[in-house]
Amino acid sequence: MSLQEIMSQADLAFYPQVALVIFAAVFVVISARLLASSKRAAAYEEAAEMPLQELAPTGRPGKEPA
Amino acid sequence: MSEQPLERFSYDDKIVRWFMVATLVWGIVGFLVGLIIALQLMAPNLNFGPLLTFGRLRPLHTNAVIFAFAGNAIFTGAYYSIQRLLKARLFNDTLSWIHFWGWQAIIVSAALTLPLGFTTGKEYAELEWPIDIAIALIWVVFAINLFGTIAKRRERHIYVAIWFYIASILAVAVLHIFNSLELPASFLKSYSAYAGVQDAFMQWWYGHNAVAFFLTTPFLGLMYYFLPKAADRPVFSYKLSILHFWSLVFIYIWAGPHHLHYTALPEWASTLGMLFSVMLWMPSWGGMINGLLTLRGAWHKVRQDPVLKFFVVAVTFYGMSTFEGPLLSIKGVNALSHYTDWTIAHVHAGALGWVGFMCFGMIYWLLPRLYQNDLWSPKLANIHFWLGTVGILLYIVSIYAAGLTQGLMWRAIDDAGRLQYPDFVETVTILMPMYGVRVLGGLLYITGALLCAVNYIKTAQGAPETYEVPVYEAPALAPQPAPPGSTFPPLSPAKLLGGRWHRNWEGLPLVFTVWTLIAIAVASLFEIIPTFLIESNVPTIASVKPYRPLELYGRDIYVREGCYNCHSQMVRPLIAETERYGEYSKPGEFVYDHPFQWGSRRIGPDLHRVGGKYPHLWHLQHMEKPSEVTPKSIMPAYPHLLADPIDFAAIPGRVGVMVTLGAFDEATAPKAEAMAHEQADLIAAQLAEQMHPDDAAKREETTQRYRDKEIVALIAYLQRLGTDIKADVGAGGGQ
Repeated sequence: MSLQEIMSQADLAFYPQVALVIFAAVFVVISARLLASSKRAAAYEEAAEMPLQELAPTGRPGKEPA
Repeated sequence: MSEQPLERFSYDDKIVRWFMVATLVWGIVGFLVGLIIALQLMAPNLNFGPLLTFGRLRPLHTNAVIFAFAGNAIFTGAYYSIQRLLKARLFNDTLSWIHFWGWQAIIVSAALTLPLGFTTGKEYAELEWPIDIAIALIWVVFAINLFGTIAKRRERHIYVAIWFYIASILAVAVLHIFNSLELPASFLKSYSAYAGVQDAFMQWWYGHNAVAFFLTTPFLGLMYYFLPKAADRPVFSYKLSILHFWSLVFIYIWAGPHHLHYTALPEWASTLGMLFSVMLWMPSWGGMINGLLTLRGAWHKVRQDPVLKFFVVAVTFYGMSTFEGPLLSIKGVNALSHYTDWTIAHVHAGALGWVGFMCFGMIYWLLPRLYQNDLWSPKLANIHFWLGTVGILLYIVSIYAAGLTQGLMWRAIDDAGRLQYPDFVETVTILMPMYGVRVLGGLLYITGALLCAVNYIKTAQGAPETYEVPVYEAPALAPQPAPPGSTFPPLSPAKLLGGRWHRNWEGLPLVFTVWTLIAIAVASLFEIIPTFLIESNVPTIASVKPYRPLELYGRDIYVREGCYNCHSQMVRPLIAETERYGEYSKPGEFVYDHPFQWGSRRIGPDLHRVGGKYPHLWHLQHMEKPSEVTPKSIMPAYPHLLADPIDFAAIPGRVGVMVTLGAFDEATAPKAEAMAHEQADLIAAQLAEQMHPDDAAKREETTQRYRDKEIVALIAYLQRLGTDIKADVGAGGGQ
């Protein structure tokens, strides 16, 4: 029996439905934990500032031809 | 925590400057090719064949604007931003230059090979196999440079922009490699390893995710960096960025089948594609919301600053396109929009609005900083913004109108139950005024880009003779302390799954990368595995047989000339289609199609049932000068097909590849060249009979003239199309 034949005859439709429920549950839990957390708010605010907190140049700059 | 010594370093901005120049140059080239093909649709005499016909130039346009313009823009912005976000110079200067020159060489090779007709016939994946390998190699160079920079970073936490770059690199690599699996027949000719339904699925898994991970995620990365910089505001919600990043990366992968609604793709795949595309609206709008609300408290700046104007309009178009896309993915809507200009309008709203304007905003922001000179003319940049915006609006409104007009005319049924517009060409000619407005819109957009070039040149001309290279100081990352009892310090379960899990992951780029890859791979395999493994997806039709050698050669001509850019080969099971074209297309009919040629536009009619519909002579005259046969046709003329000889010696090699792919009988293969000659002689004789029914001498002359010309091969292919389902089981085919 080829793999195609085996897969066609195995009753697989149930599994994606299970997978969908698991996926939905995981998604909801992760979203809830993420959005509810107030303890980590400070850490996220700090992360959001990263583009605005770049290093300032120090000392004498080098030169590079155009 | 131990004090790490301060390290001194500088950023490589030279490579960023070069990538930025390349972005603008190729952008203008790509836009101009777009203008040419837009004009060709209105004036078919502008098709200067064989090299510069619409079918050969359209892929040049798409490749140029996606990979040359947007590609170089991604590298510009990514290389600028990651150095600053990671407080580290790019990993390796030599790799940076290999990346730059390698990518430009790939673009040049595309510009040469595509007009010459070297094409795989798969959209946005037209480049032939040697170039595909080069793309993979240069992409690896980019990845090493990016991940290497992450490895030597002096900032532990990886900002959201970099997650998007990581996801883009991984996804593009996976998509490119698996969609480009092809067997070479010669140096610049290959055949897709996949056929028919499976090839269609792989192609649009790739095609839509090229949009996702080449035109969306990298630009979201750029947005997350350059918009806060330009507005001097932090991103609105970091939590939202976490949520929408993971949702986007996982959900986008499934959306591909929305390009294949009502086709021979199995219905379950079509439904999955629709559902996930609709869900995709949410993570996409997460990005839009984050972008627009970053400007809270800074809206007054938009009035003054052209950069912010470009970004705001870009993000707005992103929001509009990612709302429209899910709507177009709904089967009922898609039944109207598929193959029409509505798709083109949708693409260009996203491409000109989101991608284009993000590029221009970024260029205007970077120009003064990279060239250490004030922007030559902010006023000119403002004019560019307005020209571009009006240009986009003219483009999309006119082409929306065109798409709706076509779609409604194709499906219109009169009171007697017949097609209201049975002549396809009627549904084309009516669009000309809209195509004219599109040309005007494109002209405005290009003018804007040219103004950007002027601003660029003038700003760069005022740059100092030697650039200052600022030096920075920062400590190296402190080594991670090991949790008690743990053998491998950074990767303990507590760190991976504990309270600050996402913050920790951001500090563990390898883990992050692996999880992103898992998300992409799992999502892909859920759709790919059933497509390939379940036999009932492609029921075998006993009477469908492989193409004969000459027909295969003719198919290669069809691919070479880019006929799929205008013609589809997929009759949908909708009343108006079966009335117009005949029996709807079954999956089993395409099992020997390497690559599939279902097409995604109908600038000309569907061809799947064209076999036997017209006599050979009709095809010859039509190819020679379409407007002689169909007045007002906008199809280019292909007179060279009547003069160019068939390369019979190439046939055995091509048939050999088909044997390997299971699309031709091995026992018959040695006779392939002889079979081709036989069929060519027959068709030439039949042509001669049609041309000169009463003159034997002229018939003989005509037969001799055409028996070795490409036109008979193309006729052989076209006359075969769609006929197998009516054939006897034992007859026909490449046996």
